Amino acid sequence: MSSSPQDDYLERVKAEIRAEADIARARDPLVRHDPPSRAKKAQRPVFDEGIDRARLDYAIGELTGAHYRAFIDQAFRALLKRPPDEAGSEMQVRLLAAGASKAEVLGNLRWSPEGRRVGTRVGGLLPRYALAKFVRVPVLGYFVEWGLALAGLPMLLRHQRAADTSSAAGFAALAEAQANTRRELDQLRAAHAALDSEHNRRSEAMRADISRMLLRLDALEEHARSPHASAHEAIELRHYVHAINHWITSLQRSLGDLEDDAARSRSRADALAASIDAGAEETSARSARHASWSAVLATRLPTGARVLDLGSGDGAWLAALAARGIAASGIEANAALVARAQRHGLAIALGDPLAVLTRCADGDLDGLSLSAATLARDETDIAVLLAEALRVLRPGGQLLLRCEHEPHRFAAADTTADAAHHNGALLAAAGFVQPTNLPAHRAHAVLALRPA
Amino acid sequence: MRIAVLVPGLTPHDAVSNDTLGLTAALRQFGHEVAVFAQHASGVDEAVLAPAAIHSWLRSPKDVVLYQYCVGWDFALGLFRHTQARRIVRYHNITPPEFFAGWSDDYENSCAGGRDQLDAYAQMNCELYLGCSPYNLEDFTSRGVDPARCALLPPFHQVEQLRQLSPDARRLPAGSPLLLMVGRLAPNKAHLALVDALAVLNERQPGVHLLSLGKLDPRLSRYGDALLARIDEHDVGTETTLIQDASGAELRAAYERADVLLMLSEHEGFCVPLIEAMALGTPVIARASSALPWTLGDAGLLWESSDPHLVAAAVMRLHSDTDLREALRTRGRARYAELFAPSVLERGLHAAVQRLAA
Repeated sequence: MSSSPQDDYLERVKAEIRAEADIARARDPLVRHDPPSRAKKAQRPVFDEGIDRARLDYAIGELTGAHYRAFIDQAFRALLKRPPDEAGSEMQVRLLAAGASKAEVLGNLRWSPEGRRVGTRVGGLLPRYALAKFVRVPVLGYFVEWGLALAGLPMLLRHQRAADTSSAAGFAALAEAQANTRRELDQLRAAHAALDSEHNRRSEAMRADISRMLLRLDALEEHARSPHASAHEAIELRHYVHAINHWITSLQRSLGDLEDDAARSRSRADALAASIDAGAEETSARSARHASWSAVLATRLPTGARVLDLGSGDGAWLAALAARGIAASGIEANAALVARAQRHGLAIALGDPLAVLTRCADGDLDGLSLSAATLARDETDIAVLLAEALRVLRPGGQLLLRCEHEPHRFAAADTTADAAHHNGALLAAAGFVQPTNLPAHRAHAVLALRPA
Repeated sequence: MRIAVLVPGLTPHDAVSNDTLGLTAALRQFGHEVAVFAQHASGVDEAVLAPAAIHSWLRSPKDVVLYQYCVGWDFALGLFRHTQARRIVRYHNITPPEFFAGWSDDYENSCAGGRDQLDAYAQMNCELYLGCSPYNLEDFTSRGVDPARCALLPPFHQVEQLRQLSPDARRLPAGSPLLLMVGRLAPNKAHLALVDALAVLNERQPGVHLLSLGKLDPRLSRYGDALLARIDEHDVGTETTLIQDASGAELRAAYERADVLLMLSEHEGFCVPLIEAMALGTPVIARASSALPWTLGDAGLLWESSDPHLVAAAVMRLHSDTDLREALRTRGRARYAELFAPSVLERGLHAAVQRLAA
């Protein structure tokens, strides 16, 4: 058991996987091949092709009612337990077109090697099939068929009269359809004539416009040749130069605005990083609120609960969860912060938090923690985020929304208390219940339950 | 340049058809006059001419005929033997017939017939052999074709269109981890090995589920029966979902929801599902067979064996190791952008055609 050489990282991972596989193989060397119970067998997946695979008994009348390709399709599904393949279907259609009976086609399928393997029983088919084959014997078969036809003459006459009636009904329906088609054709012709007339009218108008434009062009050329033309051109040129100057000034102003925006974004990022790097006093306050929040969360989660933290920042909150014995992993979009958290041994990965949330399976998590400052940029983001959160949490799972560095950015409110109230309302609107505010100095968190 | 593209048939959701439509559009974009000739076409937005009309369409020795070689087709072989036009063999590979022995005589004979024509095309000294993968080109270089006449061009695909679709997950199962297999139900695709791996996983991880998206050809009904029997043997019926008529939106949702694309196929000429998974961020575990190692590169876990314990251990590791998952996703997206993005393919096709013109 070897693998294609891949890079060092993958080779190391693969070596570990091989070791795990060896242990698992030694522990449970054989895959169980117990026969399934009847109930389990009924639950197995099926290839949905409209085939009753369990049914192996038919009366011949059930298979001869359909005609042409419908008959062939039904015969394949009943006798071979599969849809017809193109070549097989064509061959049987050609037989029918050459005058073969349906019994002969059914017999061909039933006693083909494939049909024998399936073994479907068709009551009354065997004598009819034998007879169909027998009448193909030279000379003797002809006389037998002739005799049979003579004996069946009264029935043939009845069938002929029934066929005449059926044909007459078909012809009547066809005549009616033809009349309808003719009516629709007449309507289409009338519509076409109207369109044609409109087209001609517009063409005439266009030709008149073109004539007028040509005349105007001639006049302009005449004007250009006049002695005053150069003065007019100079005035027009000056007008164009002024317009271009105006456009360039606007462009420079727009570029300046863009540069200002970029500078503001940089300073905002710097401010965020600075707030994370705040002094001992802020760190102490943060540790205190994290300890308080994680204590509340720990009481509401089962032992061994899976918690995902989105927007983990430098991982301080993850560390607080870990200190409470909660198995939490985090996602953060800022590579520098991820590197810092990983140096402290925290389970954190670089990624787009919303994308990671979208990829989580339904009901997969016991707890989900969201950092509002990192995640949401507008109300649309928040609605999507909370809908996803509801999806990935198991019934009874806990959602914790943290607003620490920029509480007002997430909730359109003026104070921390207002923001907490606003966030509680948002969670309720998204379908969460029992929102609990967890206040702290210049920050707050809201804890809510995903209903069962 | 006038270019005739000859293909056995065009149908939706088919790799060779997608390649035909993609390269036809790209060639037209470069300013070439292109016509497509096929025996049948349905559900595709392309005007198609009957193959017999190609003789009169090709007027000059400077014209080009590009043949999408994926089955045995005597008409194409005859045309390549007698035409004065320049010839490009676009090779997608043909499954070796031994994979179908005991499952379908029809498939076995058809594949044998297709591979038998390899020698004839190799001896023709065509102007260009355009392989979808290095593995495909080996079929010609090992038969003496001058490597200078060979060029590599991965197939055009519908990944970008797939990316634009809204996911439809209504028919998809909700297992976790969810193992995904995309490809028709055929013996070379190793669905039986997938079920074996699922059985081992099922012992270790309740909730694991296998989702297979792909059609079963009626001629391979024996293989379908064997697959159902294997599912019964392992008692994993409730952990398996087989969907034969998945839509594009469902395929999109499956890649999004799946924890891993599990591709244990033993023979692939390229394997488009791998690049779909790479582009859409689904980690891949694959068998290191045929063209798969080149297509996947270091963007997934490759194994020489389909041993169920090994595959199960790889799935469990991927499920529990966030860093590994993220690393594979990042590498997959990068590999797709570098080698398989439409703009890359267009540049490759342009270079190949320019080479022909020179």
